Amino acid sequence: MTALAWTALFSPAAAAAAIALLGNRIDGRGAGLLAAGATGFSFLCSVVVFFDLLGRQPEDRSEVSTLWTWLTAGDLRFGAEILVDPLSVFMMLVVSGVGFLILAYAIGYMAGDEEERRYHAYKAFFVFSMLLLVEAGNFLLLLAGWGLVGLSSYLLINFWHRRREAVDAGKKAFIMNAFGDATFVLALFILAQQIGSLDFDTVFAEAPEALGEGSTLSVLVALGLLGGAVAKSAQVPLHTWLPDAMEGPTPVSALIHAATMVTAGVYLIVRSSPLFELAVDVQDLAGILGAVTLLVAGLVALVQTDIKRVIAYSTMSQIGYMFVGVGLGAYGASLFHLMTHAFFKALLFMAAGLVIHALSGEQDIRRMGGLARELPWTYRAFLVGSLALAAIPPFAGFFSKDAILSSAANSGSLGWILWSVGIVGAFLTALYAFRLLFVVFFGEVSAFAREHLHRGRFEGPVVMLWPVAVLSVLSIVGGFLQVPGAWAGVDTWIDPVAESVEEASGALAVFSILASLAAALAGIAVAWAFYRRPGERPAYIRRRFPGAVRTLEHKLYVDEAYNLAFYEPSSRLATWLTRRIEEPLVLRSLGGLGIGVRDVSDRVAAAQTGRVRGYVLALAVGLAVLAVVFLLVA
Amino acid sequence: MLGPGIAAYLILSVVLFATGAFGVLIRRSPLIILLALELMLNAGNLALIAFSRQLGNGDGQIFALTVMVVAAAEAVLGLGLIVAVSRKRVELDVDKLTTLSG
Repeated sequence: MTALAWTALFSPAAAAAAIALLGNRIDGRGAGLLAAGATGFSFLCSVVVFFDLLGRQPEDRSEVSTLWTWLTAGDLRFGAEILVDPLSVFMMLVVSGVGFLILAYAIGYMAGDEEERRYHAYKAFFVFSMLLLVEAGNFLLLLAGWGLVGLSSYLLINFWHRRREAVDAGKKAFIMNAFGDATFVLALFILAQQIGSLDFDTVFAEAPEALGEGSTLSVLVALGLLGGAVAKSAQVPLHTWLPDAMEGPTPVSALIHAATMVTAGVYLIVRSSPLFELAVDVQDLAGILGAVTLLVAGLVALVQTDIKRVIAYSTMSQIGYMFVGVGLGAYGASLFHLMTHAFFKALLFMAAGLVIHALSGEQDIRRMGGLARELPWTYRAFLVGSLALAAIPPFAGFFSKDAILSSAANSGSLGWILWSVGIVGAFLTALYAFRLLFVVFFGEVSAFAREHLHRGRFEGPVVMLWPVAVLSVLSIVGGFLQVPGAWAGVDTWIDPVAESVEEASGALAVFSILASLAAALAGIAVAWAFYRRPGERPAYIRRRFPGAVRTLEHKLYVDEAYNLAFYEPSSRLATWLTRRIEEPLVLRSLGGLGIGVRDVSDRVAAAQTGRVRGYVLALAVGLAVLAVVFLLVA
Repeated sequence: MLGPGIAAYLILSVVLFATGAFGVLIRRSPLIILLALELMLNAGNLALIAFSRQLGNGDGQIFALTVMVVAAAEAVLGLGLIVAVSRKRVELDVDKLTTLSG
C-alpha cells in the first residue's frame, strides 16, 4: 500500500523531469498530456490507497514507510518517510484529483503559448511538491514540501516573465511566504531541541511532557506553526500576496491559489493539532485571524473589478472559514470545506478562464456584461460555482460552510462571536459572488464583448470543457459526503487523526442553518437589486460613502501600510548607508588604494629611461655610498 | 721581493678603473663604451694579480684568467650586438637607443 503512495508521489516528479529532459523532442500538447496523465495516475494510486485504508479498522489506518535515512545530524535522524493515514490520503485525493482536472484544462488554456512545455513541467513539479507536503512523515520533509510548493508557486506566478507585474507579484509571494517559512522553521528548532525528533508520531506522543500544556514553549511552537500557516494560506496579516498572484495564468490560480497550496496552512494546523491543543490561546488566535480575514476579504471583494481578483479575495475569505473551523477544533468540518472549496473555486476559476479566453485575455468585469446569451454553458458552470460558494442548498458549499458554522455555534462565547462573523461573511460571500455573476453575465452585451468575443463550435476547446463539467457535477453533489443529522463522512474519516469537536444538534443546528441561509439569500437579493442591470444604485452608494468605498478599493490600505512600515524605512536606511558609509568609506578607500598603487608605479616606471648611462651612474653612486658606509662601519 | 710595493699597483688599478668608468659614463658610442668596460675589467685584473703576488698564492691569478674569459665572451656578444644594430642602419648612439624604457 505504501508502495502505491510512493508511486503517487513520484509520478508527477517523473513527468516534470521527463518534460525537462526531452526538450523539444516533445511538443507542448504532449508535455501537457504527460503532466496531466502522471497526475491522473497519482489520483488512481491515491484512490486505491484510500480503499485499502477504508477496508481496515479505523485504528489501523496509519502506516509509516521509510525509504532511507535522509539526514543525520548528531543524534537527530530524519528519514525520507511518508505517513499514510486518513488525513494524508484525504489531501492526496483532493490534490491529485482536482490537480488532474486542472492540468487537463491547462492543455487547452496554454495551447500556443511559446513556453508551454516549461509551464507543464512546473505544474507537474508543483503537484509533486504538494503531494510531498501532505504525505510527509515528519516535520522536516513537510518543510521540504512546504518550501517546494512556495518555489513552484513563485515560478508559476511569474511564468509570463516579460510582464513586470507578474515578476513583482512572484517576488512578493515568495518574500511573504519566506516570512512564514522562517517562523515555521523556528518552531521546528524548538521541537528538535526539546524532543529530539521531528517524526509526527514521536512529537505528538512526547509533546505534552516535553513542552508542557500552556507553557511558553508550546505557545512559541504553536505560534511559529501558525505563522507558516497564515503566510501560506494568505490570512491577515500576511495576505497581500494572494490577489497579486492572479498575474499568473488562470489554471495556476485555480490549482495553486485556490484549490491546493493555499489550503496547506489548514492542513498544517490539522496535522499538528496535538501541538495546537497544548496552546489553546494560539488555536483561538487562528480562529480569530480566520474570522478577520473572511470579513476583510469579503468586503474588499465587493469593489474589485478584475474577475480573477474577486475570486482571489473570495478564496481568502473561504480559507478564513477553514481557519475559524480549525481554530475551534472542528477539523473535519474545515477539511470538508477545504474539499468542497477546491471543487467550486477551481470551477469558478476555470469558468472565469473560459470567459477570459473567449474575450482574448480581458479580465476587467466593467467591459463584460450580457455574456449569458453568448456563453450559456460557461454561465451555467459559473452559476453552479457561485451557488456553491454562496452556500445555497443543495450545492456543496452549503453543507461544508454549515458544518463549520454549526460547530462554532456549539463552542462557547468565542464560538458565538466567530459564528456571528461567519454569518456576516455568508451575506458578503453571496453578495460579491452574485455581483460578479450579474455584472459579467447579465444585462446587455457590452460593446467590448460584441467586438472581441470569439468562439468556435463550442465555448472553448473540448479539453477545457470536460474538466469544467466534472467540477460542476462535483460542486453539486460533493456536499452529500456529510449531511447534518444524517451522516458525517468526513468527520468519521478524519477522527482517528484529529478528533473534531461536537457540532450543534437539534434546535441550535436548525437555527444556525436558517441564519446562514437567510444571510446568503439576503446577499443574493441585494446583488439582484443592485447589479442585475447596470443601474444607478452602485453609483449612489459610491457618492454616499466615498471614503468607505475608496478604502475598500485600496484594499484597506494594507499594501500602503506595509510599504510605509517596512519598505520605506529599509530603503531609506539602504540609501543612507550607500551615501554615508559605502561611498565615502568603502568605495573611496578601495578606489584610493588603486589610485595610490598606480601613482607609485608611474613614478617607479619613470626611473627606467632606457639610457644606460643613467643606470650606470646610479650603480656607481650606489656602490660608492656602500663603500663609504662599509668603511665608516669598519 | 723586487719592484714597487702593492700600493703602487693598487693606485694604478684605481686610476685605470676610474678612467674606464668615466668613459662608460660620458661616451655615446657603444664601441667606445665597450672599450672602456674592458679597461675597467683589466683594472680589476691588475688588482687581483697584485694581491696574488703580495700574498704569494695563485688564487688571484686563476681569478684573473676567469675574468679574461668572461671579458672575451662579453666582447664577442657586445660587438655582435653593435654590428647587428648598425646593420639596421640605426645611428650608433646609446642615448638614442631608448626603446626598452618603461
